[in-house]
Amino acid sequence: MENFEIRFGGSGGQGLQLSARLLADALIREGRKVARSQSYEPTSRGGLSRADLVVAAKRIDYPLITALDVLVLLDQLPVAVSMPLLRPGALVIADARRAGEIPEGDHDLHLLPLSESALALGNERATNIVALGVLAGLGEVCEHDTLETVIRDGVPPRFLDLNLRAFAKGVELGEAGGPGR
Amino acid sequence: MDEISADSFNIRDYLRLELFPHFLCPGCGHGIALRALLWAIHELGIDKNDLAIVSGIGCSGRTGAYIDANTFHVTHGRPLAFATGLALARPDLEVVVITGDGDCLAIGGNHLIHACRRNLNLTCMMLNNEVYGMTGGQASPTTSATRYTTTTQSGSIEPVFDACALAAAAGAGFVGREVTIQTPALKNLLRDAIAHKGFSFVEVLSDCTEIFGRKNDLGESPEMIMTQKSTMRPASYGVVGGNIVDEPFRATNLKTGILTRTDRPEYGAAYRAHAAGIRAARKS
Amino acid sequence: MPSQSTARDLQGNQACALGAVAAGCRFYAGYPITPSSEIAETMSVEMPRAGGVFVQMEDEIASLGAVLGASMGGAKAMTATSGPGFSLKQEHIGYGAGAEIPCVIVNVMRGGPSTGLPTRPSQGDIMQSRWGTHGDHSVIVLAPASVPEIFSETIRAFALSERLRLPVIVLYDEVIGHLVETVEIPAPGTVEVADRKWATGAAESFQPYAVTDDLVPPMARPGDGYRTHTTGLTHLESGFPTQEPECVERITRRISGKLVHHRELIESYEAAGCEDAEIVVCAIGISARAARRAVNAARAQGIKAGLFRPITLWPFPESAFKSATASARTIIVAELNAGQLVLEIERLCGGARQVESIARVDGEPIEPAEIEAKIRELSSHG
Ligand code: SF4
Repeated sequence: MENFEIRFGGSGGQGLQLSARLLADALIREGRKVARSQSYEPTSRGGLSRADLVVAAKRIDYPLITALDVLVLLDQLPVAVSMPLLRPGALVIADARRAGEIPEGDHDLHLLPLSESALALGNERATNIVALGVLAGLGEVCEHDTLETVIRDGVPPRFLDLNLRAFAKGVELGEAGGPGR
Repeated sequence: MDEISADSFNIRDYLRLELFPHFLCPGCGHGIALRALLWAIHELGIDKNDLAIVSGIGCSGRTGAYIDANTFHVTHGRPLAFATGLALARPDLEVVVITGDGDCLAIGGNHLIHACRRNLNLTCMMLNNEVYGMTGGQASPTTSATRYTTTTQSGSIEPVFDACALAAAAGAGFVGREVTIQTPALKNLLRDAIAHKGFSFVEVLSDCTEIFGRKNDLGESPEMIMTQKSTMRPASYGVVGGNIVDEPFRATNLKTGILTRTDRPEYGAAYRAHAAGIRAARKS
Repeated sequence: MPSQSTARDLQGNQACALGAVAAGCRFYAGYPITPSSEIAETMSVEMPRAGGVFVQMEDEIASLGAVLGASMGGAKAMTATSGPGFSLKQEHIGYGAGAEIPCVIVNVMRGGPSTGLPTRPSQGDIMQSRWGTHGDHSVIVLAPASVPEIFSETIRAFALSERLRLPVIVLYDEVIGHLVETVEIPAPGTVEVADRKWATGAAESFQPYAVTDDLVPPMARPGDGYRTHTTGLTHLESGFPTQEPECVERITRRISGKLVHHRELIESYEAAGCEDAEIVVCAIGISARAARRAVNAARAQGIKAGLFRPITLWPFPESAFKSATASARTIIVAELNAGQLVLEIERLCGGARQVESIARVDGEPIEPAEIEAKIRELSSHG
């Protein structure tokens, strides 16, 4: 995908802004233009949180999302508000444990054990990085190597090992494709 | 009475004589306060070029223009805000604020308490004549109970601020009060206030002869100024009360002279040291 | 220090602060208010690093007061706020205009009136930014529509403010303020830092508000021996107050004349696809971003549509607008308020063109589809 719109939706404290920032960094390194916006209500813990990217090969006219090509859901909270924004055939990646109830529709749903995998690695807070791995594994949004590089550059050293393992786990889930719809 | 001879002080050296005649009413106490301020500046040897006067709105604020220095006549109630920016940007200047009881305690009250708290190196001379003179004689936060003004036609019933107690409670490093009749003492107080490193608050009990005096039948300016003598007490008398005074302000035994002097850290120096530390930490 | 420019992903408000630093701003005073607080937060880090001053004041009024005080002392100074705080700053904007004190005021627009919608976008201060303070006065208002443009327009705000001795307002909506886009940050020291004209020559004969060829009097720096008087009262060339009718008129006309005299320096705009346009959309900020996509979509459908985007909102780039809309039959004004910019456009069109308004007041940005539908509806093509 060259021009697309993607949302990371979840609840406050799940690290959605970080995953959006890392993906944006990676896309910019690949030469794309990116506009990033987020929900502004203070939601450091709990409450609806979202981070949106509008990605284009050249100039971005309108920087806010209008029709989502990709939706990543880490919690049930943003599901209702985000589903109507999907473009037909959009890619939806959802955490099976925390965002398990996704309505039927014209989209390509991947219900995956994102938070479970992070828990298995020892820290549920790495769920956001597992999700990034899935995006890399599915191979439609961003190159694997660029994403891995920005993770190496962009996360604090003491969390790097955990995050790299989370990323690898996500890639594995993405490559397997998960139970498509 | 004064330890330094007044001989070498010629007020004309510090005035913009081209603006004379001045606007003050005959007998207005503000002229005496202005004289004391310039005398103090003379004694401190401050170069007029390095002196910045920031004044607010009202008869008090208008006096600033007559001083031959860098003078800034700003908005109502905000001279302390302007002076804060000026003094932080230009620590090399000596910044003196001239304000009044309405300018400083009513519309500018918030700036006063925060200037006291911050303790930036400024001197604030508040001319207290208990009234809004320039706008025609309305009540101010220091109008004594029972006094008549155009907005207290049957006598004021509001309690008044004790501005010095307020400034001290808010953290001003230097607080003092004086009456205009004690001009040399006022000069000395202002001199110590300007020399003090930190925020200095000086309340000058001044007389609005033309409006407040007439309305309250207080006599002409000689009578009014003599009244100061009989109601004010030197520092050894009386006490500084709370921030609020319920009885007629000037009838209370008001302490004069230096009321508070502490060596709290001066904000400008503290900021510069803090910023230098940040820069040094980044270099290493 | 990098010797080349660096690309950085910045939030609009951060870009504003960094633009100010690059422009030579060395004094910031502010008060917390959503959605502009990130500017103060960034400046609190940047000012001490750059050898400048950051001070959090006790209120909005004091913030601009301190900025004016610092500027009177010679510092390039800025404050930032949003709707309610912008209202509180109006008296001091007037002081800056009347006493001709350079300063930059940023207003990140949110929904109003009153506390309104603190976290939602609006463009409801289009008129307040022009006419907020009392009396005739001159201000410049710049309206960036992207994060890189916030950076560059903040730099331009300082340049105009310093050169013309007046308050310059940088006005953008919450969406642009919180958006993250890539900004090319020039290498340190490569941005041209504009400085005001300082007084030179004999102090005795110096007139702080003298009428000069460019209508901008040189400013005296305290400490340089000029000992001038600055006041918010209407004043003579000498700086001292006057009420003489002919003097008052002369002074008032010189101050407002600065904007006319320097029109070319001040005005900036984007006109895209206007040459043959039958329909021109006029908008600022996020609404202009939506308009740009709508216009492109309409063009792809064969509709002759164009975009006119004032980057200098006030004074409105009148002649540029008139030539950009020479072939247009219809002007659509898209804005996040009940209809403010449309009033200026109606005035400029003088009834000669159809003027249509898209005025959104629900706290949501105007979407491209909304404008595109309007273009299609009004086009002779469809
Ligand atoms: S009105 Fe009162 S305070 Fe003002 S100048 Fe006259 S006497 Fe002085």
